[in-house]
Amino acid sequence: MKLFSLTRASASLLYGTAIMATLSLSIGRADARTWTSVADGRTLEATFISLEGDTINLKLANGNDVAVPKSRLIPADGEAADRFAVLGDDSRVKAAANNIDALIAGTLKKNDVAKFNAPLPDDLFARRVYLDIIGRVPTREEFQRFAENARPDKREALIDELLMHPGYASHMFNYFADMYRLIGKYAPQGIRSEPYIQWWKEQLVDNKSYKQIVTDMITAEGNLGHNPASGFLLRDAGMEFDAFSNFSQVFLGIDISCAQCHDHPFEDWTQMDFYRMAAFFGNTQRTTGGYGMSAATLPDAPDGWEEEFTAYAKANGVPIDNRQMSQRFTYYVRALGWNLTDNDALEMKLPHDFRGGGGKPDQVVKPRTLVGDSAKTGGMTLRQGLAEWMTAPENPRFATVIANRMWDRAFGKGLVEPVHDFSDEQIEEAMHADVLKYASNMMRGVDYDLREFMRILYNTKVYQTMATAVEPTSAKPYLFTGPVLRRMRAEQAWDSLMLLAAGPDIDQRKGRDGSFLRAVLNVNFEEETVEQVFAKYKAYEAEYRDLGAGVVTDMNSISPSQPDLPRIGQMEMARAAEMIQPAPAASLLDTFGQSDREVTDAHNFDGSVPQVLALMNGDITERLTGSSSKIVLELESLDAPEDKVQAVFFTVLSRYPDPEERQLGLKMLEDYGDDGIRDLTWALLNSPEFLFVQ
Amino acid sequence: MMNIAELAGRDSHSRRLFMQQAAQFSLGVSLTAALPSMARAQAGTADTGKAKNLIYIYLSGGMTHLDTFDPKDSKGVMLGDDPISTNVDGMRFGSQLVNLAKHADKMAVINSMSSQNGAHEQGQYEMRTAYEKLATIVHPTMGPFLEEMIGKRDSILPDSVVVGQSTSNAGYLNPSRSPLPIADPNGGVPNSSLLTDDTRFERRMEIANKLGKQFVSKYDYSGAKSYVEYYNQATTLLKSTELDAFDISGESNREAYGDTRLGQGCLLARRLIENGVRTVEVISGGWDMHVGIDTAIAEKGQELDMALSTLLEDLESRGLLDSTLVAVGTEFGRTPNINMNGGRDHFPVAYSTVLAGGGIKGGQVYGATNKEGTKVASDPVRPRDFIATIGHGMGIDLEAEIFSPNGRPFKFGRGGTPVTKLFG
Repeated sequence: MKLFSLTRASASLLYGTAIMATLSLSIGRADARTWTSVADGRTLEATFISLEGDTINLKLANGNDVAVPKSRLIPADGEAADRFAVLGDDSRVKAAANNIDALIAGTLKKNDVAKFNAPLPDDLFARRVYLDIIGRVPTREEFQRFAENARPDKREALIDELLMHPGYASHMFNYFADMYRLIGKYAPQGIRSEPYIQWWKEQLVDNKSYKQIVTDMITAEGNLGHNPASGFLLRDAGMEFDAFSNFSQVFLGIDISCAQCHDHPFEDWTQMDFYRMAAFFGNTQRTTGGYGMSAATLPDAPDGWEEEFTAYAKANGVPIDNRQMSQRFTYYVRALGWNLTDNDALEMKLPHDFRGGGGKPDQVVKPRTLVGDSAKTGGMTLRQGLAEWMTAPENPRFATVIANRMWDRAFGKGLVEPVHDFSDEQIEEAMHADVLKYASNMMRGVDYDLREFMRILYNTKVYQTMATAVEPTSAKPYLFTGPVLRRMRAEQAWDSLMLLAAGPDIDQRKGRDGSFLRAVLNVNFEEETVEQVFAKYKAYEAEYRDLGAGVVTDMNSISPSQPDLPRIGQMEMARAAEMIQPAPAASLLDTFGQSDREVTDAHNFDGSVPQVLALMNGDITERLTGSSSKIVLELESLDAPEDKVQAVFFTVLSRYPDPEERQLGLKMLEDYGDDGIRDLTWALLNSPEFLFVQ
Repeated sequence: MMNIAELAGRDSHSRRLFMQQAAQFSLGVSLTAALPSMARAQAGTADTGKAKNLIYIYLSGGMTHLDTFDPKDSKGVMLGDDPISTNVDGMRFGSQLVNLAKHADKMAVINSMSSQNGAHEQGQYEMRTAYEKLATIVHPTMGPFLEEMIGKRDSILPDSVVVGQSTSNAGYLNPSRSPLPIADPNGGVPNSSLLTDDTRFERRMEIANKLGKQFVSKYDYSGAKSYVEYYNQATTLLKSTELDAFDISGESNREAYGDTRLGQGCLLARRLIENGVRTVEVISGGWDMHVGIDTAIAEKGQELDMALSTLLEDLESRGLLDSTLVAVGTEFGRTPNINMNGGRDHFPVAYSTVLAGGGIKGGQVYGATNKEGTKVASDPVRPRDFIATIGHGMGIDLEAEIFSPNGRPFKFGRGGTPVTKLFG
């Protein structure tokens, strides 16, 4: 395993102290686990190797392999084998988690802080990991199953279970949709980018290495049908320098945007640095497929192809001469030409008003990297060279940036901030510089497997503590005695409300699927006849529903695979990741601060009057607390008023009521019957606690 | 479903109760917060403005100055149509602004805006706060800043509203100063009808409040605390008849404003101002014309033309124009050359803004760009100067400082120089 060599090597490099030296010893080897016989309680120390059918293959300390049928072991062992078969053995995870805990504890000690925050009770733990890992609160049944489970390994088991849940990728998607500014429509070209969105989802469902995802995006060629990853660079066609500024923030954690126009006022970046780095995209040609009256640009097509195709379409009934009526045809041809290629005739030139040192206006710039060793581009394209340089072990920033971001996701605060812009000095001087280095190495150690990385963080003791009671301020670096209190992301709030309204079925519902658009745009101009391409156009045309004059440029409607989802008001009842990206303005997702995807990390966590009005009086709340409330109907099976009250707390807040709350609930039930239950449900939804991840 | 506002209107007793509550909370603002932190400069003196209200129309994306308020004679710069003359000698507008041309005498155009920000987010931030976007602090927009300096008005309605945006914040100021966001001007205040009758609502709210208080006593986080505040504000708002101020469905001149977000937003702004809101920002996008600017400006130019000209007429006919400063801003202009996609790119070097009403002397053009529109030729105005000009018009002491919670001092307009020549 790569984890072994990399992490151990780096640990010994990084940590000279005695305590770290001992800790690092335990990290590399997959440790033996205790397996228990169901018949007589005898135990066996062995390392998990694999699962074949119902047979668990284990390795003993003496090196011998044994095969044990699941049925011979206690259920917990069988379930552990199921988890390990998907996620891998967890002994390294535990070792790495222990190391993180030890590093943080060391810094706390140096700062005269005795210990982490108080351990997180089971109920709060359940709610937090459901929200953090699969992006929604647990159902009452899920909550109770966990709360009433007495097994000692139930926390690690739940973490693993949730990491294998479809909600994991869905929730992760929301994070990257914000970071990568994923939008369903690229204005003003009006091109739907669902294939790219779909591609992102697939990467996360398959748990592709982040390094590979990024490499595929940077080096992609073709249109969205040929290679949907091209959506990343096509995103900013026409705004190449903004694209580069975003690129630098997202991958390197350096906001160099000011150096576009002048030397950076505070950092060392010069204007020349900006253009040298941007020059890696100097021969990248993004064609926008034509606009207005102009003809489409089809860089891959042979000369005259468009004319031939147009003539064929005309001969086959497309009213080419009527601009209004042939609009669908025009959109289709443009979408074909929305394309990414390397064109070596292009070069990066300094702007005409360049005023920095080291170059003159309009001078051609050669690519040079901003930090670390320079990229090697021999035998590959500029973009391939850039991707290799960026993800190489010699460039620590790439791993550090994503490790810090994932840390921020788990703890509500990055080890260094802001996550898109920090200097090398900040890395060195961070309160937990050792943890940051460790996490960065760990990211490479797990080969950019984000799920495994998160698995480690969720298994730390410091993660499994109460949220810090007092908000950290910018005046003093945060000590990380535990996670901070976070308001739910808009998507977490939405997905949780959807769960309450529609049940766990919500996790299975699929919304828009980019594969249709991908298929009709995947045209091989050299091999396919115009007749074959025309057939793809006809498929596209057939699925195109006219939405009326105001939205004719909107290809929103081309989603034949999109099922008709039930709706609340205008909103489809599906998880946020399955909806239009981003959700329309004034939708509940937007109201709760979902990013408009204009800039990186634009999610807003502030409260507002419209948010609370939506929870007080909105369609969803009516659904949850009205006469047909699913929540209330589900309580019918419970007889004891105590159980009913408790069940409402379980359902909405995933916790036990305290004695006073219990009394309050019983009184409501006594005075108002089922109406009282509805009122209680409303009140819990409308207590700020609902919106926070403790 | 029952709307408490209806009850309140009928029952004078409960109405009075509501008003008392309003005085206590006035949209959630506690009494201490309602006090101005800074005295307003002596109103009515020679060197401060007389405006009481502000409508700030923000054209997001970067309004092309060359095709609107700073047209050129050079054919290489223009799209094709000739500039049009206005009702003021020497003032010319882009060919789309036919109705506004009849109101040039009410307008002061600044053609010498210039900023350092070529990116939307940063540019918009500075044009709405006067400050540069930083990663360490969030600055308030003008609405919350004015409220902080002048004090909350004695009204249930919020002091500031932002139309065309679904979220808002008050920057480093108390979250209760956050403008009320109205994403869709036709939608009114969404979710403002109660699901149940009044008593049942009270009973629900009582439990929610109890739980809420318990929660925020456990966690000392401004974000959590602000929710308690927002629940107070929302409850007060629901009980007020003033909610009608957000409903433009009965307005007779809706068509004249144009059936666009901008047009209907301007109409809502006028209605809100009339009902006692001090500051309304109307945010409207679609101005980022990198591609095919000829078709884009035909649509957006007409939209702006209808909305702004009708707003000026409407305010004037209601006697509100003198007390209401109308400002039009954007993050930057657009390049004089047309790019390969038939569009214009970002151009912070030079751009235009407009001021009208609220003591502005109409019919003047301040500053100028050179013949080709490639740079500012005279009287450059920075974003902070523009915001300071608005502050001046609103009678704000531009030297007065307010402080963020961590003690950093801030001035309305960031120490910029107001263009006092624009005022009559």
